[in-house]
Amino acid sequence: MAQADLSSPARLQQAAVPAMTPLRRFLMRFNRLFDDARLLPVLLIAPVLIFFIVWNVIPTLWMIGLSFYRYQISIPDSLAFLGIDNYTDIIRDRAMWQGLSRTFIWVFFGVGIQTLLGMVLGFLFWGSKSMPGRRLALTLLFTPMIVTPVAAGLFFRLIYEPTFGILNWFTQSFFGQEVLLLQNPEVAFWAVLFVDIWMWTPFMILITLAALASVPKAEMEAAEIDRLSWFDRIRYIILPHGKYILMLGILLRTIDSFKTLDLVYLMAVPGSTTKLIAILLRESAFEALNVGWSSALAIILLLTAIAFTSIYLYILNLNSKAKAKEVAT
Amino acid sequence: MATEIRMEKLRCAFGQTIAVDDISMTFPAESVTCLLGPSGCGKTTLMRMLAGLQDPTSGEIYFGDQRVTDMTPSERNIGMVFQYPVVYRGTTLFQSVELPLTRDKSVSKEERKRRVEDILEQLNLTHVAHEDVTTLDNATRQKAAVARAVARQPQIILFDEPITNVDVAAKVQLKRALKGLVKQHSQTIIYVTHDQTEAMTLADEIALMDNGKIVQRGKPRDIYNNPNNRFGGWFLGNPGMNFVEHTIVNHDGGQHLGAPLFRQPIPLQAVHGLSNVVVGIRPERVNLGEETPAAVKGVILRSSLVIGGQYLVSLKIGSTMIKAKTTRNDLPPPGESVWVTCPLEDVKLFTPAGERIDMK
Repeated sequence: MAQADLSSPARLQQAAVPAMTPLRRFLMRFNRLFDDARLLPVLLIAPVLIFFIVWNVIPTLWMIGLSFYRYQISIPDSLAFLGIDNYTDIIRDRAMWQGLSRTFIWVFFGVGIQTLLGMVLGFLFWGSKSMPGRRLALTLLFTPMIVTPVAAGLFFRLIYEPTFGILNWFTQSFFGQEVLLLQNPEVAFWAVLFVDIWMWTPFMILITLAALASVPKAEMEAAEIDRLSWFDRIRYIILPHGKYILMLGILLRTIDSFKTLDLVYLMAVPGSTTKLIAILLRESAFEALNVGWSSALAIILLLTAIAFTSIYLYILNLNSKAKAKEVAT
Repeated sequence: MATEIRMEKLRCAFGQTIAVDDISMTFPAESVTCLLGPSGCGKTTLMRMLAGLQDPTSGEIYFGDQRVTDMTPSERNIGMVFQYPVVYRGTTLFQSVELPLTRDKSVSKEERKRRVEDILEQLNLTHVAHEDVTTLDNATRQKAAVARAVARQPQIILFDEPITNVDVAAKVQLKRALKGLVKQHSQTIIYVTHDQTEAMTLADEIALMDNGKIVQRGKPRDIYNNPNNRFGGWFLGNPGMNFVEHTIVNHDGGQHLGAPLFRQPIPLQAVHGLSNVVVGIRPERVNLGEETPAAVKGVILRSSLVIGGQYLVSLKIGSTMIKAKTTRNDLPPPGESVWVTCPLEDVKLFTPAGERIDMK
C-alpha cells in the first residue's frame, strides 16, 4: 500500500518542487544577485573593501585629523586645535631627528648587508647543486626567518648577557675578556642590528635564488662556452634578468626594516643608542599617551615610507616598461 | 688548421631513456657535418656532450689528439650557437660580439676590432652594429650569436638548430648567411637540425640519426639516393619514399618480383632466405602517363599542386597506395586511371625489418 503511494504522480511532483518557504525565497533572490554581471565584481570585492575602509582608511583619516590637535589621554579636556604646531614641534625636536637618522642608518646597513650577504650565499647555494646535504643546509639556513622576532630578541639578550651569556663565557674562557654589548652605548646599536641581519639574510638568500631561477639557462651556457668571466656573467646576464625580483626583495625588506620595533624594544637597555624612530613613536603614543603629537609623527613616517616605496616602484616600473618595449619589438 | 672530433662508445642515458646509444665515429676536420634526425632522436644531447654541457654516461670524446671528456665547456675552446638566440643584455651588438674576444689576451685591441668588423660585414650587420641588442629582432640576434661564435675563431663551432626560432622570411636570409660563412671559414662545424633542406644545403656530410644511433653517414646526395634503411628513405624527401611490400614469387626456377608495382616478373638476385621484400621508390622517380612494358594501371585518387610547378599525385594500384610527383599537367582527373612505371634503376629493396638489400 505504501509502495503504491510513493510511486503516484502527485507524490513525485511534490518531491521535485519543494514548498516555497520565506527562507528559500530569500536565498533564491540572493543567488540571483550573482547572476548580474555588473554586481558580481562589486559583491566579490566588497568584503575586502569594507575591511580596508574600516581598518585602514578611517583610522588614517582619523589620525590625520588628530595630528592637528593637542590631545593627551592622561589629561582631561586637553583637546585643542593646534594647526600645524605638532608638526613644527617635531621638526624642531632633536631627539626625533636623531631617531630618524638612526633609523636610516639601521635600514641602510641592515638591508645593505642582508642583500650583499644574501646574494653571496644565494650564489653559493645556486652553484652547489650537487653538494650532498644541500636541502638540509638550505632548510637550516632559513630557520632564523621563521623564528618570531620576540623570541629572537630574547634569545640574543641571553646570549649577550654579561654574567651568564654564552658569548661572554666564550670570550672569557678563550681570551679572558668580558664583552659588554647591549650595555655599551657605542656598540649596542650594532649588536642589535646583527640580530636583524641574522634573522633576515635568509630572506634575501631566498630572493636571490628566485632571481637566479629567472635567468635563462641557454644564456648561462652560452657564457660558459664563450668563456666570459664571472664578473661579466653577473653584469650581462644575471643582473639584467634577476634585478626585478631582487629589487622587489629589497623593497620588502626596506619597508619592513623601517618600522622595526619588536626586536629593538626587547633588546634595548634604557638610555642606549638603539632608539629607532618606531621606539620613540611607541613611547610618545603609549607611554606619554600624547595622541595628537604621535599622530603627527606617524603621518611623517608614513609619508617617508611612501616616498621610499615610490622610488623603488618608479625604478621597477621603468624596468618593466623597458621590458614591455623589448617584447613589442 | 682545425681539429677533428672523435667519439668512442659515447653514451648518455636519462634514467631508462637512452638518448645517445654507444656512438663511435669521427667528424672530419674542416668540414660541415649535419646531424639530422627527427625530434627526440638524441642529436641535441650528442651536441651538448660535445660542448661539455652534458656529462656522458660513458665513453670518450677527443678533439684531435686531446681527450676532452672531463673538460668544462670553457676549457674546450669551442664556439656554439643555440636554438634560443643569446645576446648579452645591456650591450650594443658590436660589444656583444666583442665580449668573448676581450678575454683572449693574445688578440690585440686593433685585431679584435678588425675581426668583429669583418664578421659583422660578412653577416650584413654593420648598419645595426651600434644598436642595443635588446631592440633587435630574433633573426638579427641569432646572427649576432653566430658572429660571436665565429669571431673568436675557435677550431670547432657547434650549431644547435640555429634557425628554428626565426620567422620564415628571415630563415632564408639567415640560411644564406650561414652558407656563405661556412664556405669561407675552415673550422670543423657540427650543425644539428631536424630540417632536411637545411642539412642538404649546408652539409658536406650528413649524419642521419635515429633512436640514439647514427644510422647512416655520407654526402647529402648519396644519403638521399641510397638510404641504408627504411628510416632514411622515409625521413628524407618530401614526401618520403613509397614503401610497398612484395611477395617473392618463384618463376622459371628463379626469384622474381611481381604485382602490384610490376606488370612482368622482375628477376631478383642475392635475396636469400626471404619470402617478402619491401620495394622503395621516391615519389619523384615514379613515372606517370607513359605506357612502358613494365607499366601498371593505377587510379588517381587526388592531385595537388606543390611548390615548383609539380603535382603531388596519390594513386591506387590494386589495393596499394603510392604517391608520385610529376611535372606533367595533362594527367586525367581523379577517378580515372593512368599508366604507372617504377623504373628499376630507381627502385630500392629493403628487408621486412627495414635494412637495404644491395642489388646487382
